[in-house]
Amino acid sequence: MEPVSSCDNLHPLEKKVLEVFGTNRTVSALSTLQLAEATGLESSQLSMAIEWLVAKQLLITVSETVTPMVSLTPRGKVYVEQGSPLERILSAVRAASATGKWLTIADLQGREDLDPSEVSRAIGRLKKEGALLVIQGGCLESTGRPSPSAEAMRLLLGELHEATRPLNSFPEDHRLLIREYAVKRGSSREPFRIEEQVMRSYALSPAGAVAVTALANQGYSEEVAQLSPDLLKDGAWRTKRFRKYTISLRPPRIAMGKKHPYREFLDAVKFKLVGMGFQEMRGSLVETEFWNMDTLFMPQFHPARDIHDVYFVKDPTHASSIAEPFLSRVAQTHEQGGPTGSSGWGYRFDVERAKRLVLRSQGTAVSARTLAATPSVPGKYFSIARCFRYDQVDATHATDFFQVEGIVLGKDINFRTLLGLLNLFAREVAQAKEVKFVPAYFPFTEPSVELHVRHPRLGWMELGGAGLFRPEVTLPLGVAVPVIAWGLGLDRMAMVALGIHDIRDLFTDNLELIRSTRGLF
Amino acid sequence: MPDKPRTISLSQLDEWLTLVKGEVKGYQAETGELRIELQDSNRPDLWCCEGIARQIRIKREGIFKPYPFLSQRPRRPKRLLVDPELQSIRPYVAACAARGYQVTEQGLAQLIQTQEKLADIFGRKRKMVSVGLYRLEPIQFPITYEAVNPDDVRFTPLGVETVMTLSEMLMVHPKGVEYGTLLAGQSRVPFLRDAVHQPLSFPPIINSREIGEVRIGDDQLLIEVTGTNIAMVVLALNILAANLADRGAAIEPVAVHYPYDTPLGRRVVTPCVLSRPRSISLETIEQALGQRFGVHTVKEALESYGYQVSVKRKSAMVQVQLPPYRHDLMHAMDVVEDVAMSLGYGTFAPEMPSQFTVGGLSRLEQVSDRVRDLMVGLGFQEIMSNILGSPDAYCNAMRLEGTPWGRMVEVANVMSANFSCLRQWMVPSLLRVEAASARSFYPHRLFEVGEVAIPDLTHELGSRTESILGALIAHASAHFSELHSCLDSLLYHVGITYVLEPISHPSFLEGRVGKIVASNTMLELGLIGELHPEVLERWQIAVPVTAFEINLSRLVDLEQL
Repeated sequence: MEPVSSCDNLHPLEKKVLEVFGTNRTVSALSTLQLAEATGLESSQLSMAIEWLVAKQLLITVSETVTPMVSLTPRGKVYVEQGSPLERILSAVRAASATGKWLTIADLQGREDLDPSEVSRAIGRLKKEGALLVIQGGCLESTGRPSPSAEAMRLLLGELHEATRPLNSFPEDHRLLIREYAVKRGSSREPFRIEEQVMRSYALSPAGAVAVTALANQGYSEEVAQLSPDLLKDGAWRTKRFRKYTISLRPPRIAMGKKHPYREFLDAVKFKLVGMGFQEMRGSLVETEFWNMDTLFMPQFHPARDIHDVYFVKDPTHASSIAEPFLSRVAQTHEQGGPTGSSGWGYRFDVERAKRLVLRSQGTAVSARTLAATPSVPGKYFSIARCFRYDQVDATHATDFFQVEGIVLGKDINFRTLLGLLNLFAREVAQAKEVKFVPAYFPFTEPSVELHVRHPRLGWMELGGAGLFRPEVTLPLGVAVPVIAWGLGLDRMAMVALGIHDIRDLFTDNLELIRSTRGLF
Repeated sequence: MPDKPRTISLSQLDEWLTLVKGEVKGYQAETGELRIELQDSNRPDLWCCEGIARQIRIKREGIFKPYPFLSQRPRRPKRLLVDPELQSIRPYVAACAARGYQVTEQGLAQLIQTQEKLADIFGRKRKMVSVGLYRLEPIQFPITYEAVNPDDVRFTPLGVETVMTLSEMLMVHPKGVEYGTLLAGQSRVPFLRDAVHQPLSFPPIINSREIGEVRIGDDQLLIEVTGTNIAMVVLALNILAANLADRGAAIEPVAVHYPYDTPLGRRVVTPCVLSRPRSISLETIEQALGQRFGVHTVKEALESYGYQVSVKRKSAMVQVQLPPYRHDLMHAMDVVEDVAMSLGYGTFAPEMPSQFTVGGLSRLEQVSDRVRDLMVGLGFQEIMSNILGSPDAYCNAMRLEGTPWGRMVEVANVMSANFSCLRQWMVPSLLRVEAASARSFYPHRLFEVGEVAIPDLTHELGSRTESILGALIAHASAHFSELHSCLDSLLYHVGITYVLEPISHPSFLEGRVGKIVASNTMLELGLIGELHPEVLERWQIAVPVTAFEINLSRLVDLEQL
């Protein structure tokens, strides 16, 4: 290692520690305590600096000793001010005896500054040492003899006041007393605390020695951590050296502004569709059964219209009106085909039922509204519409989801151009080169087809369904040209792109998941 | 008689199943049980193995051979007499006999499955159609279909050991309990008996145990269908007759005599042909499919799909008629699809639509996208939420109960309280994420652009769907002015000058909430404020939160003023 580079990117704290080793060249090892004294650093800063230097292999750990250290607890500090219970009780009894009164144990236990358990423990000890006598009726009498433990306690409190000392620095009898009055499990209200302090001593590694020499040559004081406006203003930066950073460390995380990955996926689909010449349509979350189903030639007795498939609105239950001439034309078409060339469903169309309000259950409702609003011919339309189904929610069923749907109108629309459009979707939306067209059934299209594609990552999958709108759908809405209706099922593709396995996670409330999910599409 | 069975692979079967819009969903080698998913809800003839096999067989043989029972009618068929009273109860009935097919275990299972599917799905839980099967031998013709007082008639129904009256059956028999509502309010009920008053059944509830229980080994059967729509009743019988004929039975029609008019007349010999021939121009088919085939290809395609087809020379019209087990031809387009399926979708060369169209986004979507970009630039993370939620989240936890802000579009048929109303504003959606994410590092800056439903009785749908931008800042020292700065920059770049007018709003701290008002029009665009500590408590959020909302739909309206 080059001597210069070995000390170039040292933190000021590290340099302070190395400096101590530089001025004590003759000493082979220095303890943490010695280093703390010599550097004047706080213990947290010191241990940080040592940790870095050891990690960089500039310092090596020479020895490790465990020393029990004694210090005062908050209770111990109270004793320093008020005296220990031993001392307070002894002096109270003596003071009472001097005035000819006798104190009882109960009297002492009643005193505010003493804890009942402390009192009985202290009295027990004083009695054992012969400093007190307990006579009839629980009265206490001073014998006039001194109490060695009360004395020792006073000494210890004094010595440990604002200092932590190794347990071994005390004589044997004091050590016993300390242990007896130290915080242990089950007795936390004690004056002393014994903590094991790990003392390590460190020595320079050969690389460390090189760094120390290099540092000495450089001089320690010229370094600047941060370029400041002041340094720039007077040109003082010219005489400074700038500390080099350890740039290999991981930076802290920041909260960045970001789009939702599922929304980004839908945005990508949206712009693909616009690129293919589709115009966006929008609709209402609440729809009438008329636009949601009747216009799509789903008979009013169709099983997909009952209360186990669609959410009905509570209040108001019905729309105030439905636009003519659509209502009567659609009713006629359901009943006997009207002018569409169809035989119709042959039942009595219920106008009230048509007005029933539901939560939009299929994006095709938006297409139906567009057909009735004099769309462009030729024309291509799409919507990414939130739809609602009366479904038990689980990993593969959501009650509230997006449908990507649309229509294509034109004189050149037929079954083959329908397949051509689906080919285009397969290529553009799923990057699939292989497709399969499978006959399908939808109440509003004939012929109907399902698009299966070989996705580059997912293998064969169903990408969507489509068909030519039945004339029973288009003619009552005033559209005379053939119309393709198509829908794409993209949630599975989105879930794979986002690396999630539960459809509910598309709308997750877990911010960490949203922040960390990359949309890869 | 059916051909000898032959073995085919599952993948071959899957390919053939495209003819019936079906797909193999599972196969158990041990039991030989095959699960097939069918899509077409208008083809009840395909809801059984006989029908699926028939459609495939016709394709392989190239033509459908008409069933003799439809062309060779007996001079004096067996009779079924209908009581005038039934016209207002359950007016239609159809029946036939089947001889010479000895019922096997599998055959019986299929027969019962078909009977149940026709009654439950096609017949809408027996309302429109119900089916009865009987042993033919003990029955003395003519059969009578009559209306009776349910307390006067008694027999032993299927599934129990004791004789009971029809009223008792409605009350205690499981089928009576399940289907009894179909006869609710009727003082007289339908009853089928033979010439010597032997009970056949109590339609649409239950058969007699003596005659109405078909067993393995029986080879003479009577099939009867009753219902409220004569076309459906006859179609169901046609399907069952075709199925039994395919299994080798000889079908003997029964003449039903009505004392009242029906769409098929007063004397209806069943099974019978339902659909009439229909003329379709070759041009219609070729235009819809985008390909010229010529009339012979069309004829072949339809014949190998079961149709009867005749071509009139020089008229370029084909006359088509559906086979007797189908009655789903409503429009020429239905025939078009059958041509395409018969030829195979794979035989059509895809062609790109060639006409030029201009793509684009709605103005609302453009504004939404722009606002989303600006919010990202301001350091906000986008979130997405369900719109269907709970009144507790959207209203109660926001302290909005009984206030105008607490009105929502609610669902009538609630499945779960968690999904019972549409959100009327965006802040609860943001709080939902905040409440769940205390462990994601702070600060939290969230936004969502999405739809809400605002109740509005002046609107024909009773509510308006509007797009809202909602934003929230949450961290230990989040406060009003931090978010106000974001709002200010945002609206500057959207080109809106605005003022904040102090308001009182229960979700926010008094004195720290205001509505956002466009300066020139005084149109209200949204609100901004520090959330009320009680709201935060309800959501169990432990840091201060400030939020704003801007109604983007109204922003677009403003542009057009």
